[in-house]
Amino acid sequence: MIHINNLLSGYGPCDVIQNISAEGKQGELIALVGANGSGKSTLLKTLAGIITPTSGTINYLGKELAGFSSRKRAKIISYLAQNREAYPSMPVYEIVELGRAPYRGSLGQISSTGKDIIESAMVRTKTQALKDRKFNNLSGGEQARVLLARALAVDAPIILADEPISALDPAFQISMMQALQREAKKGKIVITALHDLSLASQFSSKIWMLKNGKIVAKGVPKKVLNAENLKNTFQVKLPKGGFKALQLAN
Amino acid sequence: MKFTILIICTLSCVIFSLFIGTVDLSFIDVLKALLGRGTDTNNIIIRELRLPRSLTGAVIGAGLGASGAALQGYTRNPLAAPGILGFTACAALGAVIALYFGFYKWIPLAALSGTAIGAFLILKISGNRKSASTLILAGVGVSALATALTGLTMNFSPNPWALSEMVYWLMGSLSDSQFVDLLICAPLTIIGIIMLTLIGPDLKTLSLGEETAVSLGVSLGRLRAILIIGTALCVGSGVAIAGAIGFIGLFIPHIIRLIFGSDPIKLIPLSAISGAGFLVFADIISRYLTGPGTQLYLGILTSLIGVPFFLYLAIKETKV
Repeated sequence: MIHINNLLSGYGPCDVIQNISAEGKQGELIALVGANGSGKSTLLKTLAGIITPTSGTINYLGKELAGFSSRKRAKIISYLAQNREAYPSMPVYEIVELGRAPYRGSLGQISSTGKDIIESAMVRTKTQALKDRKFNNLSGGEQARVLLARALAVDAPIILADEPISALDPAFQISMMQALQREAKKGKIVITALHDLSLASQFSSKIWMLKNGKIVAKGVPKKVLNAENLKNTFQVKLPKGGFKALQLAN
Repeated sequence: MKFTILIICTLSCVIFSLFIGTVDLSFIDVLKALLGRGTDTNNIIIRELRLPRSLTGAVIGAGLGASGAALQGYTRNPLAAPGILGFTACAALGAVIALYFGFYKWIPLAALSGTAIGAFLILKISGNRKSASTLILAGVGVSALATALTGLTMNFSPNPWALSEMVYWLMGSLSDSQFVDLLICAPLTIIGIIMLTLIGPDLKTLSLGEETAVSLGVSLGRLRAILIIGTALCVGSGVAIAGAIGFIGLFIPHIIRLIFGSDPIKLIPLSAISGAGFLVFADIISRYLTGPGTQLYLGILTSLIGVPFFLYLAIKETKV
């Protein structure tokens, strides 16, 4: 269980996140939705420990994360960044292996359990076949899967993903969301920023809708993605018949 | 296999360098002198002149190679070199000030003090900020200031003789190396190399970007502090003994990256080993080319050997 209490956070003197309080339970896939600049990425970065909050607390299983060392925190929260800025000439396996960074020895050694976890993360993201290829030679969809494998290799109980499906084709978008959903079903807390409301409604168990750094609505997708909220937050109309589910062809 | 060849090359350079000098010595003579069983003259030539010179060269080359590799990993820029943080310029300033006042025995201490002040300034300036570019900007600023002050000191040098001493010193040389120099330089450089080797795993994580690295438990402040202190120890102690020796820290990691890949965990120690071999090799060449009355300075030679090779690799790499 993750508890966010009265969180204020941002860059420099101005707080982007304005007093957010929320909670996530094991097994939930929470979609963060909101317009550009609403604070989705800032909230995820604050939860990941990249930005230090101005005030407020983040608790995991009753313990405040601010008191944890950066390594201990990294074992609890795995973060998948929005941009794919991995070292271009690095082989895929070495990138996924970096997910074990919080656990490795002082000269970078990885235990055999760690290697099993890496293997399992690559199986779940279907990246084993790419293992020896260079990251910069992969397609956008393959790169996204490799970075997801890297995030899963941390084997943390909380997974944060910042727009993991941006710039991907529909099939890759669905397979990425399915992979995140499987992690949630296995008992992890998955919080992901999404721009695609249709996929958010289809895959998430809960939605936090952000506007100007505040959560304006939260709950199950059906309740949150109503005509009034969509109009207030995105200035758009609810599609006729609601959001339709997309499926892979085969 | 590649690793074994690298070790053999480096060791061969160090051993071969013991045979180079104005006095020709056979293998047996060198071996006897090393064990202290040669003639008095041979013992002095090997144990007090050639061996300290070779080992000092190896240690300095190792420090320059390791710090170049670590800085290139941290800045994620293959053009970063140990000089980028300004420590070479700060050490040079310290040494030039010592030469200005005629305190020749205090050159190493003055150069080390110059580096320590430079490291302190860079730690202070880039301390709370997270980005690598702040560190580089701080380095460029400190380097420019130290270079200007070095120029100023030379400008007001008390006599032409002192000025020529400063100029020659800045060209870098191992010719006056003694065991006491090795005793000053080796412990500091070895500590520096160990520090830099230990941040290898964090530097590898950093290749995924600063935000991802932080989320994976890398403390950027700690990483930067170790990088600055480790580099200061390697570069400062090297310049303190041998003067300014350029280019090794830039091109050695580059070559090692082409042969062994870009993983900083391997790149830092391997650059140290090959940096050691290369500097001793360059010193052998400088001894060959140095005749009575003329001396070819090591700093010039490392660049003269390194630059064409580096350009060849750069062109080859862009073609691929």
